[in-house]
Amino acid sequence: MTAVGKALVVDDSSVNRLLLVRRLEALGLEVMQAENGVLALELLAANPGAVDVVLLDVLMPELDGYETLAAMKADQSTRHIPVLIVSGVEELDSVVRCIELGASDYLTKPINASILAARINASLAAKRLHDVEVESFERQTALNRTIERQKQELSRFLSPQIAALISSPEGEQLLAGHRREVTVAFCDLRGFTHFAEQAGPEEVMTLLSEYHRLMGEAITEQEGTLEHFAGDGVMVFFNDPIPQEDHVERAVRMAVAMRDRFVELASAWRQRGYELGFGVGIAVGDATLGRIGFEGRHDYGAIGNVTILASRLSSQAQAGQILLSPRAQTMLQGLIESESVGELTLKGLTRPVLASNVVGLR
Amino acid sequence: MPEPDLPVVDERILAELMASTGDDIGFVRELIQTYLADTPLQFDGMSEAVEADDAAALVRPAHTLKSSSETVGAMRLSSIARELEMAGRSGSLDATARTGLDAARAEWLAAAGALDAFLKRRPAE
Repeated sequence: MTAVGKALVVDDSSVNRLLLVRRLEALGLEVMQAENGVLALELLAANPGAVDVVLLDVLMPELDGYETLAAMKADQSTRHIPVLIVSGVEELDSVVRCIELGASDYLTKPINASILAARINASLAAKRLHDVEVESFERQTALNRTIERQKQELSRFLSPQIAALISSPEGEQLLAGHRREVTVAFCDLRGFTHFAEQAGPEEVMTLLSEYHRLMGEAITEQEGTLEHFAGDGVMVFFNDPIPQEDHVERAVRMAVAMRDRFVELASAWRQRGYELGFGVGIAVGDATLGRIGFEGRHDYGAIGNVTILASRLSSQAQAGQILLSPRAQTMLQGLIESESVGELTLKGLTRPVLASNVVGLR
Repeated sequence: MPEPDLPVVDERILAELMASTGDDIGFVRELIQTYLADTPLQFDGMSEAVEADDAAALVRPAHTLKSSSETVGAMRLSSIARELEMAGRSGSLDATARTGLDAARAEWLAAAGALDAFLKRRPAE
């Protein structure tokens, strides 16, 4: 028969110990014994996690029941073990003190077999419940750590907003696809293709990494959702997945910050003989947003005329220009200084577009 | 002094012990023999305490003797041991502690004899 649990009997009287051990063994328990508190604590320390219930006498040499109990309750590894105080009928005062110190229950001598069985079963049940709780807590903690690590990894590859979206309760619904008004900003470099042809691969990677860091900072400041980096091309949208009332403004502030900061980078590269210019296209409109791609490789993307318009405006922008679609320009009235650049004929669009350039923020 | 109507050894308690261990005379014998071997140690402790007039030191051996005697049915000895324990807890020992200890010794001899007789009446396991 496998033991239903392991008990530790702590009593200085060998007669009492013998009888108690016998009674506990009859209940199916495996029993360890100690004749005083010091030996009991040593046994507990030597067998971590092994003892399910302690039967503790109060009056003992070396270390008495109170001190033993207090030491057990002060130790993280033993505090949860149920302790039954074994005492004489005249010692109810000490029982009260022991219960206050954290003992689970008590037994009076001479021990009645049925009461012993009932108290032991209650203690073992409490201990099992505690063990299950500890186990489930540990499992949950491990799971949380894994999820947290995955989120961190995810946010290194994805925009923080998208990483957060994926692990949010409404994530699945938003990923499945929804329609919303967004502001899309497209940025790229003038002269990049020429530069990439001339420069060595290390130089290209160095420039891109400096440029991406600069872009990344400005995107983060305005809480834009980075859709992708494609070489020198960067697409950012606003108002999704996190709604932003001032999405057009945010896009412009981001673009202006990028343009300002790019000046320094451009002059550093000019000294190395490379002429690079920075241009942006910004458009506002409805897009379908959600998971695009195929099983095994999905992106969170925005699909719609607004994306195409922003991309075409970006292609038309000259170095240093931030071109706005007419709608974006209207929405920003009073907030920016802008100048018209006239009607532009954009690839793939049937009608010419009246675009304007952002001179600065007001 | 023990109450006069208490038995030296209450055979009902021994019978209960037998019954509750499934008539395991081997175990009851071991228990009684442990008691017989252990009790002199408690007497040593009590004697030292009384000699040294150390009330606190009397409590534990008297307490142990009280409860182990009760376990094997030595009710008179248990009762005297209880009085000695209380004398120890009171904090000061007077002449009654010494007479109590002498009475306990006398009861101990009687109880040991009765327990021995009990074991002899039982067939060996």
